[in-house]
Amino acid sequence: MHRVTATSVALVLGAVGAVGVARADDGIDLNTTWYQEQRQGGQGGLTVIHPQLDATVDVGEHTNLALGYSADAVTGATAAVYAVDAVSTATAFSDLRHEGSLGLGFTGRRAKLGLSGSVGVERDYLSLAVAGNAAIDLPGKNTNLAVSYSHARDQACDKANAELQPLERRALTGADPCAKDYGVFGKDTLDATMLVTTTWRDLTIDTAQATVTQNLSPTMVLQASLFGQVLEGFQSNPYRRVRVGPNEPQEHIPDTRARVALSVRLNRWLPRLRAAVHVSGRAYSDSWGVNSGTVELAYSQYVGSSLLLRLRARAYQQTAATFFKDAFYYETESTAGSYFTGDRELSPVRNAVIGGKLTLLSVAEDDKKVWGLFDRVDWNLKADVFLLDELPADDEAANLGGRATQFLTSDQLLDAFELQLGLRTAW
Amino acid sequence: MRRTLLLVVSIAGLASACGRYAVRPNEKEFLADPVMTFEGDPQEASADDHVLTNREGAAGGNGAGGGGCGCN
Repeated sequence: MHRVTATSVALVLGAVGAVGVARADDGIDLNTTWYQEQRQGGQGGLTVIHPQLDATVDVGEHTNLALGYSADAVTGATAAVYAVDAVSTATAFSDLRHEGSLGLGFTGRRAKLGLSGSVGVERDYLSLAVAGNAAIDLPGKNTNLAVSYSHARDQACDKANAELQPLERRALTGADPCAKDYGVFGKDTLDATMLVTTTWRDLTIDTAQATVTQNLSPTMVLQASLFGQVLEGFQSNPYRRVRVGPNEPQEHIPDTRARVALSVRLNRWLPRLRAAVHVSGRAYSDSWGVNSGTVELAYSQYVGSSLLLRLRARAYQQTAATFFKDAFYYETESTAGSYFTGDRELSPVRNAVIGGKLTLLSVAEDDKKVWGLFDRVDWNLKADVFLLDELPADDEAANLGGRATQFLTSDQLLDAFELQLGLRTAW
Repeated sequence: MRRTLLLVVSIAGLASACGRYAVRPNEKEFLADPVMTFEGDPQEASADDHVLTNREGAAGGNGAGGGGCGCN
C-alpha cells in the first residue's frame, strides 16, 4: 500500500464510474497501462503495471450487466523517513492489488440508472464499495442531468498504536503480518503472549457528484460537474515516518477530510477538418487547505476512415496542506499543530502532462462483421510524459537543509511516462 | 429559501428550454461522433486517474459521461 488515500479514492472513483460511464454497447474492453517514474540518486524507479478487463452484456431489453477486473503490480522504492536526507532511507517494496466489480444498468427511453459494487484486496489494504447513479435527458435531448453517489468502507493495516501518543507511534513494516478473514475482512494479529501487534484501521469515503451536459450548438457541447467527498478515518500512510526533532514517529494527519471540485469541459467540432477541440478546467479545494487548478487542451483529428489521432497538454498546480512542512522545519521546529506528514501529494507541486493517442478504428460494413464477430473494434496506443516541479512550502531562504533530497523523486523535470495499449470491442 | 427555490426552478426552466431548442434532432450528426462525447474510453480515464492520484492531492470529480447527440 504505497498510497492509502490515493488507492481508496481511486477505488471509489472507479466504483462511481463503473456504471456511470458504462459503455452503450455490449462488448469486452482490455487495457494495460505501464507507468514508469524515475527516482532520485540511482535509488531505483517506481514501476506500475495496471491491466484492466471489462465486459458488458445485455440481460434484457433494458438491462445490462457489467463485470470488471483490474490489478496493480507495483515495484519500486520509497523513503521510509521524511527528512532532509530522505534519500538515504530509501526502502524497496513491491505490492500486488486485485479489484473486481459488478454493475447492473437500466436504460430507458430518456433515463439511465446504474448500481455497482466493487471489492479491492491487497496485502495491507482492503476496500468494499457500493455506488449508484442516475441520468436523464430533458425534453429535446439537448440537456442531460446526472447524479451519482458512492460509499466505500476501507481498512488499512497498521501497527497496534492505539494507546500511544502521535510522537510515539510506530510505523508498519513490510515484515509485519496483516491477517484477514475470508480474504476481504481485516483481522487483528496477536503475538505469542496474545498481545495485538497489528490491527486494521477503518476509513469511510462518501462521494457525490452532479453533472449537467448541454448541447450548445450542432458543433459544441458543454459539461459542468460538481464533486463532493468526505473521508472519515485513518488516512495516513502507515509505513511512512517523519523526522520530528529527535523522533521518527509514524506520520499523523487528520481523520476527516472534506473535498469539493467544480469542473467544466467543452467539446467543439471542426467540420472542415473532421477534428475536434477539447478544453477543460477544474478548481478544487479541501478542508486540509489543498487548493488546486487544472487546465487541459486536447485536439482530436481523424485521418482517413480508420485512424484517429489525439494530442493533449495538461497543467496542474496545488497549494500545500496546512499541516505540511518542508522536512527541515519538522526537524527544527516540530509539528504543525499536532500533525506531520511527508506525503508528496500534500506538498505544493506543479504537474504537467503532454501526450498523444492513436486509435485504429474498424467498423462492420454491409453486415460484414469485424473478425466475423464484432460491430466495432478499436486498437488504442497512448503515450504521456509527466513533468513535476516541487515547490517550497516554507521560507526557502531560511531552509538550511534544502529540499533537494527530502523526497525520493527524480532530480529532473521530466520524471515519468505512461504507455497504454487498449482494445475496445462492441457487438 | 424562497429565493433559492426560485433560482433553482428558473435555472431548470432555462436549461429545459435551452435543451429543447438548442439543437434539432437532424442537426446532431457531429455531436454523435465519439470524440464529441465526454464518456470517451472509461478504462483510459480510470487508468489516468489512477496515475494522477499518485502525483496530485486533488484527484477525482472530473465529471460524468454524457454529451453527444443525446439519442439513447
